[in-house]
Amino acid sequence: MNRKMGRLAGGFAGIVLVLASTSLSGCSSLGVKPWEREVLARDDMQLDANPLDTSLDDHIYFSKEGTSGGRGFGGGGCGCN
Amino acid sequence: MAADKRIGGALAAAACGLLGTAAPRLSIAAEPEGKWDIDTAFLFYGESDDRVKDASLTGLAIRNYGDDRKLSLGLTVDTLTGASPSGAIAASRPQTFTSPSGKATYSTPAGEIPLDSSFLDTRVAASAGWSQPFARWYTFNAGLDISTEYDYQHLGLNAGVTRDFNQRNTTLSLAVALGKDKVEPVGNVPVPFAQMTDAVDDDGDVGNRGADSEDKDVLDVLFGVTQVLGRHTLLRVNYSYSDSSGYLTDPYKILSVVDPVTGEPIVRTPPPGVEGPTGVYLFEHRPDSRTRQGLYTELRHDFSGKVLQVGYRYSTDDWEVDSHTLEGRLRFPLGGNSYLEPHLRYYTQSAASFYRYSLADGAPLPEFASADARLADLDAYTVGIKYGRQTSGGNEWSTRLEFYHQAGKAPSEVLIGNQVGNTLMPDFDAVILQLNYHFRL
Repeated sequence: MNRKMGRLAGGFAGIVLVLASTSLSGCSSLGVKPWEREVLARDDMQLDANPLDTSLDDHIYFSKEGTSGGRGFGGGGCGCN
Repeated sequence: MAADKRIGGALAAAACGLLGTAAPRLSIAAEPEGKWDIDTAFLFYGESDDRVKDASLTGLAIRNYGDDRKLSLGLTVDTLTGASPSGAIAASRPQTFTSPSGKATYSTPAGEIPLDSSFLDTRVAASAGWSQPFARWYTFNAGLDISTEYDYQHLGLNAGVTRDFNQRNTTLSLAVALGKDKVEPVGNVPVPFAQMTDAVDDDGDVGNRGADSEDKDVLDVLFGVTQVLGRHTLLRVNYSYSDSSGYLTDPYKILSVVDPVTGEPIVRTPPPGVEGPTGVYLFEHRPDSRTRQGLYTELRHDFSGKVLQVGYRYSTDDWEVDSHTLEGRLRFPLGGNSYLEPHLRYYTQSAASFYRYSLADGAPLPEFASADARLADLDAYTVGIKYGRQTSGGNEWSTRLEFYHQAGKAPSEVLIGNQVGNTLMPDFDAVILQLNYHFRL
């Protein structure tokens, strides 16, 4: 890993740790009570409401662009890139 | 659908949605217990100018065994046809190339980008996954996937765990995937930077080829945070790390060797009575490792029934390909049982450090070089719309139509002689048409 990648790794890890610790401590006031989840529980509010669309898109962009992934482990297993 | 099941679905999706394409399939927890929840899709992808066309059928079945213990099974069959850019550049005269098999030739008219028309493949991919809660706040999932093509085999394993906090308003997740791939190129693996040879008879030996296969290993790690921000808003942030090693070269891509002054491809004449390349073309050579990191964020917000989804991804790697992706969708309900969802996506990337438009004749070879346009400076956008409708029985039809445009650019520092201001990149437009049907058995 070169120096730039090392710095980026440190930066990313920092962002994620800050987010994680913020979420776990200071932002424990964020969020909702269990009985306030009516909207969040709708099918169209799910983070991956259309898994087939997501995996087909990941596969297309994996085949046609120089970078891929990030959302999940999509797109792999293809000789197209 | 009962509200209590939906609540479980929301929690599980928030928790597990981070865990890769295989895992989130398990996370749509609204499936009734003891039934199969089945998603099917037909996809047509077609590029302009008779380039790649892909028709694929996909099925994904999820069965809930109770207590959120779920099995998922997926199957995809793809058929690819059409022509693909070889990496060689356009010339002011017609060009002839030996095809990847080493046993035939194809020609490109003057002024056109060479496309290898022998591109044809059928791909079958299958996946299986299991997900279940354990202890009070944890969920575990694991899966495997395989795919096979006539020149490529893939085996992948993945596993992940999630942990809920703050009355399940916060979820942390960690997932790992391992991929073991095997490349078996038509005509065997080309020797890096070796010259494309003349075509041989069916029983002849193709020159400048080595082993019949090479391996590639991929390790992916994903760490994610999902946070409920309010009654109408959900945020997800993922950090991903990916390490690929082994054979990362594209065995079918070549580079044109050009005159250092004119920038025009060098002319070569095959021996009399022999068909072969009319220029000097070298097989590409990429590094045997690549380390990539990415940051992905997604926000979902409900505006009185309309759902806005925005996502941003930054990716960087030690090939120096840095990319930004910005994506948005807005789902409008139309009456009680149908919706319309426009989609916009913008993508931009910088060129790989070893991207070359061509190679200068007589100059020392670089350590690595590829003229694959997917490693050049690139901009792309997608514009699309989806329409979905629920049937009275609770099943759903949907269809989407999207338009994709991609334009590449060779960085000026890799241009040779008169190529400056005079390059031709294999830009293209593509149409994506998809039909989905979702039902229960």
